[in-house]
Amino acid sequence: MISYNLLVIPLTLVVGLVLQILPLPSEAQIYRPDWVALILLYWNMALPNRVGLWTAFLTGLLVDVAQGTLLGQHSLALLIIIFINLNFHLQVRVMNLGRQMFYVFSLLLINQFILVWIEGMLQREPSIMAYFGAPLTGMAIWPWIFILLRDIRRKAQIS
Amino acid sequence: MKNIFQQGRGKVVPTLFLMVLSIGLMVTDHRTAHLDVIRSAAAAMISPLQFLVSLPPQGGAWVGEWFRTHNRLVAENEGLRESNRMLNARLQKMEVLLEENTRLRNLLGSARKVADQVSVAELLSVDQNPYRQLIELNKGTLDGIVDGQAVIDEHGIMGQVIQSTPNTATVMLVSDPEHAIAVQFIKNGIRSIAFGNGSTDQLELRYLPVTADVMPGDELVTSGLGGRFPPDYPVATVTSVTLDPTDGFVSAIARPKASLDSSRQVLVIRPREITGRSE
Repeated sequence: MISYNLLVIPLTLVVGLVLQILPLPSEAQIYRPDWVALILLYWNMALPNRVGLWTAFLTGLLVDVAQGTLLGQHSLALLIIIFINLNFHLQVRVMNLGRQMFYVFSLLLINQFILVWIEGMLQREPSIMAYFGAPLTGMAIWPWIFILLRDIRRKAQIS
Repeated sequence: MKNIFQQGRGKVVPTLFLMVLSIGLMVTDHRTAHLDVIRSAAAAMISPLQFLVSLPPQGGAWVGEWFRTHNRLVAENEGLRESNRMLNARLQKMEVLLEENTRLRNLLGSARKVADQVSVAELLSVDQNPYRQLIELNKGTLDGIVDGQAVIDEHGIMGQVIQSTPNTATVMLVSDPEHAIAVQFIKNGIRSIAFGNGSTDQLELRYLPVTADVMPGDELVTSGLGGRFPPDYPVATVTSVTLDPTDGFVSAIARPKASLDSSRQVLVIRPREITGRSE
């Protein structure tokens, strides 16, 4: 019974992937929050023993394929923030939402910096907002993601 | 305090291992083509998602078509008929020319293809990496699409297929920063290479000789050198020419003929005989 409920986790990640490739006007693209990173962060925070480094690595590869980036680019960025989160998730769980938002913003910024740097190494010139756009919107929607996924987790009784 | 940090401590080794693995993958992916197998397998897994994402816009277009007023349809029909007449008239002339051309070529003994077969594909509305210029088509290897085929719209060359899964194919547009296409000026036959620079309305021609007679308005077609693109398809129109005094070369900016950011239907060219791929 419990094993079926666990499918909720990959399902939410797939939804994140769909949101990641949903067409947006090109001016809005750099403000697209990193859905996959946000969802992964939540599950890692809540269930670090189930969703961890390997999930981050494999999800990152899927994002790379979907977006046509270098294989391993998103994996590397996700691995680093998930590693940081593994060290801090116990403290973060007891923070209020405001502090959590700031924490998530910092992680998303690290994630974004790695992604943009790799793009930069390949001589594609990103604009300044490429660094800050997605982490800012990601921070703004974190509370909703947090509450939504928490309710889903409680409904599915995963722990 | 110790307890709190315990959780992540044991993860240092797997983290470093996976990080090294990711970096290794990136370098391999960037420098070689060994990972294309993995990439297309994973892309096949993802292609249902891409279809899902492009459903709403397609549905919208279909509903719009359904509710079009009768008058507009009549007007459109009339317009199409007129253009059809004109095209037919032109085609007659074309056929004569084509025949003459084939005859002359036969006389010359050159085995150049005159007509290429094409298949129609539609764009999936999928956003890719914002720093690149890639599009996704709704046809794949099952419809006979193979990596390396040229993609055009009704105005000119759009790009080439770089990865195909059973049902989808990824196309790199000529404006992608990693793309280069062998071109030729119609006017005087000077050959050059047009590089993409990441914006949909610009191609760069670098290192033209100072003596080259290049002016804004000149038309560029594919030269067929390199083997990827069939020769003589329109590519771009030169918009500006600059002479950089520090080096002895002229560089030019050209605007692609194909509407790279608005075409919905595209044609994939299938060469009749497989020409040798070189790159």
